[in-house]
Amino acid sequence: MSLPPIIGDLTPLVPAVTLVAFAAITLLFGVFTRERVALNERAALNERAALSERAALGGLALTGVAAALVFAFYLWLESNASGVAAAALGGAYLGDALASAFTFVILLGSALAILLADGHLARLELDHPEFHPLLLLATAGGLVLVSAGDLVTLLLGLEIMSLAVYALAAWRERSRASEEAGMKYFLLGAFASAVLVYGIALTYGATGRFDFAGIAAAAATPGFAANGLLLLGAVFLLVGLGFKVAFAPFHQWAPDVYTGAPTPVTAFMSVVVKTAAFGALLRVTGTLVEALGPGPIGEVLPAALAVLIGLTLVVGNTGALLQSGVKRMLAYSAVAHAGYVGLAVLAGGEAGVRAAAFYLLAYTLTSLAAFAVLLSLMDDDDGGDRLERLAGLGRRRPWLAAALSVAMLSLAGFPPFAGFIGKVLVFQAAIAAGHAALAVLAIATSVVAVVFYARVVTTMYLREPDAHSAPIRPVGRRTAVVLAIGVVGTLAFGLFPGGWLELVAGAPAWIAGF
Amino acid sequence: MIAALMVLLPLAVAVALALAPKPAVHRPLAMFGVVATLVLGLLAVDGGGRLEVPWIASLGTWIALDATGAGGVLARVAAAVLLPTVLWAGARVESRPHLFLAWLLATLAGLSGIFLARDLVLFYVFWELTLLPGLALLAGWGLTHRRAAMVKYLLYAVAGSFAMLIAVLAVGPLSGAAGYRFDQLLAAAPLLDPLTQTWIFAGFAFAFAVKLPIFPLHAWLVDVHEQNHASGAADVAGTLYKVGGFGLFAWAIPLLPAGATALAPLGLALGAFTAVYGALIATRHAHLKRILAYASLSHMGVVAVGLFSLHLAGKTGSMALLAAQMVTTGGLFLVSGMLHDRRGSFELDAFGGLARSAPALAAATLVVLFASIGVPGLANFPGEFLALLGAYQAAPAAAVLALLAVVAAGALGVNLYQRLFQGEGRERVRDVTPLEVAVFAPILALTLWLGVAPAANLTTFEREAAAAQTVTAEAAPVVAEIAAAVGVLAAGGVR
Repeated sequence: MSLPPIIGDLTPLVPAVTLVAFAAITLLFGVFTRERVALNERAALNERAALSERAALGGLALTGVAAALVFAFYLWLESNASGVAAAALGGAYLGDALASAFTFVILLGSALAILLADGHLARLELDHPEFHPLLLLATAGGLVLVSAGDLVTLLLGLEIMSLAVYALAAWRERSRASEEAGMKYFLLGAFASAVLVYGIALTYGATGRFDFAGIAAAAATPGFAANGLLLLGAVFLLVGLGFKVAFAPFHQWAPDVYTGAPTPVTAFMSVVVKTAAFGALLRVTGTLVEALGPGPIGEVLPAALAVLIGLTLVVGNTGALLQSGVKRMLAYSAVAHAGYVGLAVLAGGEAGVRAAAFYLLAYTLTSLAAFAVLLSLMDDDDGGDRLERLAGLGRRRPWLAAALSVAMLSLAGFPPFAGFIGKVLVFQAAIAAGHAALAVLAIATSVVAVVFYARVVTTMYLREPDAHSAPIRPVGRRTAVVLAIGVVGTLAFGLFPGGWLELVAGAPAWIAGF
Repeated sequence: MIAALMVLLPLAVAVALALAPKPAVHRPLAMFGVVATLVLGLLAVDGGGRLEVPWIASLGTWIALDATGAGGVLARVAAAVLLPTVLWAGARVESRPHLFLAWLLATLAGLSGIFLARDLVLFYVFWELTLLPGLALLAGWGLTHRRAAMVKYLLYAVAGSFAMLIAVLAVGPLSGAAGYRFDQLLAAAPLLDPLTQTWIFAGFAFAFAVKLPIFPLHAWLVDVHEQNHASGAADVAGTLYKVGGFGLFAWAIPLLPAGATALAPLGLALGAFTAVYGALIATRHAHLKRILAYASLSHMGVVAVGLFSLHLAGKTGSMALLAAQMVTTGGLFLVSGMLHDRRGSFELDAFGGLARSAPALAAATLVVLFASIGVPGLANFPGEFLALLGAYQAAPAAAVLALLAVVAAGALGVNLYQRLFQGEGRERVRDVTPLEVAVFAPILALTLWLGVAPAANLTTFEREAAAAQTVTAEAAPVVAEIAAAVGVLAAGGVR
């Protein structure tokens, strides 16, 4: 298919633009139906009509994500067939293998998060019509973030995503915790953005370029003397993005925000936002490590990253060990998993990108399955995630318990689940890149992780429920779909990861830093 | 293809058992699963027993299985031992027996995978997977303090297997092997420099030491056995899962000869100590399952001594002993279940004088017990003898120490028999039931067969041990050459 040149140049933008367009449509649709919903409810005339209109919003949002996925897949096929990685806007927006892989993961995570949210929004009284547009905007921002070919586009993507998520985190209007979560995330996020902007400025000052390819090229020219300045810029960039991926010691917001935010939003944040931020981090570190080159100055950035990763692994896993709430445990475990993905970032190169993309895919499937079970058990006020809630689940609801067990085993890194293959890829990349010591630390902390994941499983199967424990409501259809996709995907990608890996590896030339 | 079926068939039967609605089909289905796996194992003697299919191309892993070698022998013995175990468990486990049987079948599938895998990543997958059935049997059917035992077991096992995971993932990229298949690794890994080999070997050895188990990584073993279901069937599954020795024999020692040589003294010392320690501690206990656990720990010490001798006879004997103790230790755990049936206790004080009212039970137990302490003509003897012979060639001190342990185990066995079956009997107990006869029959047959006609198995084990041995011998000069080359380069640099 041949497109007119100007549109042809813009094709990599299509998935993100589709999402923005659907965000607008959903917003309009929501605004116009809101009054009718309210009317219907007030008159108690037709509750089913009100419900179906609410469901229509979710369906519309899902359609948007699906359309974006179709376009992304088509773009990937196109660039595979032509053998050239696509780029738009003079290289500011890329459609290379990294962008494709991370786009797939983000869109999958977003679709599952929307399904999951739809099953519970009404029950949790969170179903304002702005929810879905914001979710779509955040997803679009994520796509921009992982496709960014220069630092300005990267900042743009980050802000599009973050602004939407700040609002989503504070979605429970009458909950202090949710308000606090949104506020905390906003303040620290703004601070992180400022640091990032400073890093961008310093990098520009050192090299005179914003685009990754240009930065690498400028630093490679003989006589380049601003290595110190570039390093300073690189460290600021690392810190700024470190906030977003929740590397320790910049992780402090994560457990509070993940716990305070409405659970469907937590699920969205822990998969989509994290995947997008890691896509950007991979590009930035890949470019800057190469630009700084070998030598004493060049070693500082990997060393700093290694320290952050080591801290993240220890803090995340020990933090999770100490929690009694499952949601908070998952929040700390999200921090810990950032450490494992960080290992792939540190390893860099094609192996690192492939490992990170697979790890995040596995994490997305598994983590959403876990959140789906959790949401089915929690109270209508979005509380009640204590471990005791799970007691006796093995006998009361064997399928739910089995699904959560699969999720926990996969998160812990047991074969034959996808989490295991993710760990294999990450550790192999790290060891091959010469970071064996850090890989050993990662393994040691994984043993700690097994304890808190196993605690969930043993509670379900070995502890008897309290006599007065709340009844467990039936699992809704959409939640069941999320569970099925999550569990089947976790198993399928664990047994046969080849297809996905080939898909990523087969994509044409890595550009901008790779 | 047959090799793949040896894994898939028991797995499919396990799933079917878990889902099968009618109680009437449970036991026949489980028996079918085990018998069919055993028959498959006996059929898989030539080309049909091998399989090689690419699995994850970008990682270089294969679905590679081979039932014709040492692993095949162990897989067959494991299936044969599970035959009476399934029979016994099906009758003795009252609560949710179909799930218990399903987990036993899952154990069989995992064990087949561990023994047959000829790809290191695949081996690791099965190694880790087989942990789950053991934990599930303990969790679902264990005694009151099972939670603590589970946590202990899980932590030891996971610490070990994660250390192995690092070793697995290091040995591939660092050696530059084309893939993780055994032959691919064998072409590259032994050429690694000795220091790297030692580190990687340490990772493997840690995992294998936990699962052998040997001192000081054995603490989980006794608690798990004590807390398992009283029938003893879960203990048999646990005994079969003591695959650390096989891991050393089939993977760590052939792939990392220099690492093995470097760490062999430590392994010999720990192995010999474990042998003596297990036998001595066993005499201090009055709980039947704890005694059996410590006695089997002592055997594992001998296995370790044989392996770390790095001598052909020692390695061959260790594998034979491993196979034999599956039968004898497994058989004794089943006997413990039968005894518990009669007295409702595992404390030795509850027993005594059973031979008077149950002479057949006493005689059958005596044969298995004698086999276990290494009486010639019965299962354990050929392996134990060869393991110690090999050890004596390489490290006389360790061999002598281990030999002391064998003497102590003998005293322990005789003493145990006396306290159970002789002396003052308090009340009459029933003699063997038809079911128990059926359980004993395969155990006794295997005990005799492994003792009287060990040649075929020993040949298989020796062939594989010898293949690794030549690699070691070939690798040594290469290592020396590399060292010399590095020396020349360094000298040139200085000049």
